[in-house]
Amino acid sequence: MNLAELQKLKEKAQKQVALREGNKKYRVVVSMGTSGIAAGARDVMKTMLDEIEKRGLADVEVRVTGEIGLEDVEPVIRVERADGEQTTYARLDAEKARKIVAEHLAHDTPVENLAVGKEKKP
Amino acid sequence: MFDELSLNLLDIGMNSLAAGASVLRIVVIESHRRDWLILQVRDNGCGMDDATLQRILAENSSTKANRKKSIGLGLALLRQTSEMCGGTFHVRSTPGKGTTVTASMRLTHIDRPPLGDLTATIETLAASPTVDVQLHYRNDNQTFHFHSQEAKHHEPSRTPKTKRKSAEASRAA
Repeated sequence: MNLAELQKLKEKAQKQVALREGNKKYRVVVSMGTSGIAAGARDVMKTMLDEIEKRGLADVEVRVTGEIGLEDVEPVIRVERADGEQTTYARLDAEKARKIVAEHLAHDTPVENLAVGKEKKP
Repeated sequence: MFDELSLNLLDIGMNSLAAGASVLRIVVIESHRRDWLILQVRDNGCGMDDATLQRILAENSSTKANRKKSIGLGLALLRQTSEMCGGTFHVRSTPGKGTTVTASMRLTHIDRPPLGDLTATIETLAASPTVDVQLHYRNDNQTFHFHSQEAKHHEPSRTPKTKRKSAEASRAA
């Protein structure tokens, strides 16, 4: 049990509450059902949060959801852009998550070889 | 089975989010003196009636057709771990009030998984802006409290009504 780390989280959480207002350009939704967790979705989530913070990407929010029906290819995330474009990424790990932050979220370039689905919603 | 108990806590906590909880409290008590590890997830979500609760505990599984309603598998995983490690497992739920899941295990039991990265679990659950995620941790020597939201418009369901009213009154004033 690492209390020092939790203490850091406490300070970070207070800052993050202040950043929550307003519509963001990107929303990342992480599938965090039982099968997602078992496949490593929490590591993917944590890596993305850390990487987003490190790069200072203020226009991105990260959320969790239950199963989204892709249990056999977990961990799965969906990247939703404000204009309605949605990209689904599957079979992720920490390294792939970092790549998605660096290319898709930071430079608007979807990582085509990791994407399993793409659609545009009006 | 999860290799970290903090993943069980995340899994149970996700049920609370699905139940529309505005307050999600995770309690971890680690007592070497008494050789107990106690884990509790308490929420003020929609809760379940007795029949639903008995069904998910008895069936221990969730089928795709009714996945949205049945949350049996995650609970079964934690129950299995508790019972395997010399502890107990309880779920209490009241429709409209919330659900409390409590698991205990022997801290020194050889099969007990490590607690793991509790920080990552709390951080993941706290990403939901609509819920105040609270962690109460205690061991033989120290305690630690974490609240994800400082502005608490929703008091935990256990708060006596009178107290809540006076708090509201003082806010209004």
